[in-house]
Amino acid sequence: MKVLQVGAAALMAAFLSGQALADTVKVGIIAPFSGPFAHYGKLFKDSAEAYLKQQQGKFAGHDIQIIYRDSGGPSPGVVRNAAQELIVNDKVDYLGGFVFTPNAMAVAPLIQQSKTPAVIFNAGTSIITTKSDYFVRTSYTQAQVTVPLANWAHEKGLKKVVTAVMDYAPGVDGEKTFDAEFTKLGGEIVDRIRMPMSTNDFSPFVQRIKASGAQAAYVFLPGGPPNLGFVNAYNQNGLRDAGIEFLGTAETDEFDLQKFGDAALGLMTSFHYSAAHDSDVNREFAKAMKEQAADALFNYASVGAYDGMRVIHKMVEATDGKKDGDKAMKAIRGFEWESPRGPVKIDPETRHITQNVYLRKVERGADGKLQNTEIENFGPQVDHGLE
Amino acid sequence: MSLLSNILIDGVVYGMVLFIISVGLSVTMGLMRFINLSHGAFAMAGGYVAALLIREQGFGFGAGVALALMFTMALAVVLETFVFRHLYKKSELQQVLFTIGFTFACIATANLFAGAYIQTLPLPEWMQGSVALGARTLPKQRVVVVATGGFVVLLLWLLVARTRFGIWLRASVDNAGMSSSLGINIRLVQCATFATGAGLAALGGVLGAELMPLEPFYPLKYLVLMLVVVAVGGLGSISGTLCAALLLGIIDTASRYVASGFGNLFFYAAMVLLLSVRPHGILRR
Amino acid sequence: MQAISVLPRMTSAPERFPWHVYVIGLGLIFGLYWLFPGNMLIMTRIAIMAILVMSLDLLTGYAGLATLGHAALYGVGAYAAALCAKFLTGDPLVGLVVAAGVGALLALISGAFLVRYQGLTFLMLTIAVVEIMHNLANKMQHITGGDDGLSGFTIDPLFGTFEFDIFGVTAYWYSAIALFLCYMVLRRIMNSPFGLCCEGIRENRDRMNANGTRIYPQLLKLYVLSGAFAGIAGGLSAQITQVVGLDSMGFTLSAEALVMLVLGGTGNLIGAILGTALFTGIHHFAATTNPFHWLFVIGGLLMLVVFLPQGFVQKAVNRLGRRVVTSTAGVAA
Repeated sequence: MKVLQVGAAALMAAFLSGQALADTVKVGIIAPFSGPFAHYGKLFKDSAEAYLKQQQGKFAGHDIQIIYRDSGGPSPGVVRNAAQELIVNDKVDYLGGFVFTPNAMAVAPLIQQSKTPAVIFNAGTSIITTKSDYFVRTSYTQAQVTVPLANWAHEKGLKKVVTAVMDYAPGVDGEKTFDAEFTKLGGEIVDRIRMPMSTNDFSPFVQRIKASGAQAAYVFLPGGPPNLGFVNAYNQNGLRDAGIEFLGTAETDEFDLQKFGDAALGLMTSFHYSAAHDSDVNREFAKAMKEQAADALFNYASVGAYDGMRVIHKMVEATDGKKDGDKAMKAIRGFEWESPRGPVKIDPETRHITQNVYLRKVERGADGKLQNTEIENFGPQVDHGLE
Repeated sequence: MSLLSNILIDGVVYGMVLFIISVGLSVTMGLMRFINLSHGAFAMAGGYVAALLIREQGFGFGAGVALALMFTMALAVVLETFVFRHLYKKSELQQVLFTIGFTFACIATANLFAGAYIQTLPLPEWMQGSVALGARTLPKQRVVVVATGGFVVLLLWLLVARTRFGIWLRASVDNAGMSSSLGINIRLVQCATFATGAGLAALGGVLGAELMPLEPFYPLKYLVLMLVVVAVGGLGSISGTLCAALLLGIIDTASRYVASGFGNLFFYAAMVLLLSVRPHGILRR
Repeated sequence: MQAISVLPRMTSAPERFPWHVYVIGLGLIFGLYWLFPGNMLIMTRIAIMAILVMSLDLLTGYAGLATLGHAALYGVGAYAAALCAKFLTGDPLVGLVVAAGVGALLALISGAFLVRYQGLTFLMLTIAVVEIMHNLANKMQHITGGDDGLSGFTIDPLFGTFEFDIFGVTAYWYSAIALFLCYMVLRRIMNSPFGLCCEGIRENRDRMNANGTRIYPQLLKLYVLSGAFAGIAGGLSAQITQVVGLDSMGFTLSAEALVMLVLGGTGNLIGAILGTALFTGIHHFAATTNPFHWLFVIGGLLMLVVFLPQGFVQKAVNRLGRRVVTSTAGVAA
């Protein structure tokens, strides 16, 4: 019976694959294109297409076809189906995208079985890359950007810090990482505040921060409305005036930064990409993005997708356009290049991206717009979450 | 005790915003027995129009908000007369279905015209900054919210208890058929009530923009919150809605101060308790 | 709460064992398999959702209790099946039984409190239940995986021979047959005096009370039954996708299920299946063509359906069904 099953499946696969052009390399990108997180999908699409345009639509002489699939929000079932359809029906050679951790985890068995390299453009939990040998990540992990921040806080002489994170997996990860690193260096975490996901009013939490007697607050917020709410509450309740430092990571990302207005000035974050990064590669990236879409905003998600396409480019080059997962993965281990964020390298062991992490401060740039000015470079950081 | 005062202050402020947004829904559901799940869409509309007028077109804050309210009320009148009226006779599930579909359409419209970004509402000078209340500071914007909330309560009370329209309204809520046969223009009452509800929602959207930022998914995101306040307060009861909003606001705030690890457990547990003890509303028998 | 529409009551033999419906059903399952081999994944999803929506129909359609908390029962079944595969045994059928049992258990516990209430109060309380369960699942990260989802479990081959592989063939047959069997069982139950009693409660509670029906135990039994089937749907989903996320316990899922049900027509189980197929199909197509604007399509469809003649989808099916019945009755006679 099993032979019949496999035979039927193989027949079906053969029938379906007849349509594809032999030379076209297909890339499937799974991201949210609808719902509250749809801006991620747009950011990925703009960057991927910008990169493709820069390469005149071909990687190493092969035509590239990108197929987009909507993941909605964190819905592992939907994403697994989408990945299955892409691999089995559309016969993609590579997968990309993945904003949320459960979505990436859901495709692990699929890519392992079908040997399809999958590039993670955004999801930031350390264990994802351990779930399959075919994962490679071009985004960041929370541990990677938090550990240097804890170090810097200690060096600056801060002794008491309070953590205030959104109460879900990435937030809890961030809190645990900062806690472990900071206490290891001799500091003290005076309070660990967990803010429920459904919070609208951040005043209670900001008041608690004030009452804790800390000198700084390590904050983790998911992005979007909560960021704005928290930063406003932070200012309006006098935390800045009381001298309590705001230490964040992704909270001031460029997508919503302009909405904060003057409330954001002076916020310190530790992160791997700022649109104001001073390098030629970044300026070229900005130009390519503007050509792609005049109103394009680019942030860490855009650069994750852009570099993700760079990695896929390398893999296509190494396999000469054929589907060979093992050869592709071998080629990108240790791959180094200059990204818009700075020099980067794919770690040969963990398949995670080693990159510079910077300390940034929000300031008004020369054009009057808010930007994350890099004031210190922590140097190349590996994925500390896997240590 | 400073913790208690903190809880009370923040709780009352949060509760007031909930009240202003939800009171329109409560009255509409009580009067017309019309389950309007697109109530949040009117709040969003008011907020968006105000944001666009003030930020892009350069209107003053007062003028912008007033225009936004008028626009929303006009929109509500048009929709009520031509569309929603036909739903009053339909079953509850069909009303739910239609208003959810309408909400989806509104979300898509907001996204189409203004993008997926948060719409910021620039505050005027007199609303910026904070006032010192002893040891803690309170943003001026919150003070304005509480004051407006009180003003709305007063206005509504005057309207319902002291005007002819209020008599018509109360009569229609109690027995629409009888009121109609006594010569009360039910259609007018329904339309005016709906418009007032929508106007109040718009006001709530504008005032609550600090707590509940304006973005395309606003109507669905806060729908459950509005429904909870309305259900606990009792359909059609203004004082009930006020009571429920303040109570739930304070309980929610208290849980955030004291036991935030439990998430919104206390909020929903409180709701379950209140509803099981008083299924028809907090101030009803 | 008024009934949307109910299939005409026939007193002849076909009512007892409507073999024509079953033949059509089996025919559809086979037909869809051969006609659309590339779409098996989405049809599997439709089958699983349809079981959930059918279980919702028991409460909302037959008994008139609109609920927005059904995802709690689905989610708890999904997590139960996943944990069973992870710690007990990977056998899919055992997992389904566990899922049904856990779903029924949660339904018993929550229903004991919930079914005392009606109308808007009941609706809001069900929302509270699903939100509290969602919160719980998020907090109990060490068991449920929290936001990251529960993964890392494998399902043994069905009956020891059919593997759940990447092509999804086994998954399709598994879920389609499960849907078929669930429909058979539920139809039999709801066409019995038990089901009619529930419909009576929907129509006029006071009258039923006066008749001597004990409303509370009756509704509780129905709630537990509904919970068991919602748990089965959740278990199927967990076994087929091999990952369970927090979204299986979310308010959004409950709302979507209710929309699918009302779209297809309440009060008879076919409406649940039709509504699910329609909504999922449209979502799939609209999402692939233009993701952000698919909301316009769905919004427009929902508004349109309400203004179509009462039970439009149902009437069309009715007419088709009646024609088949009269033609076969004519042949048989």
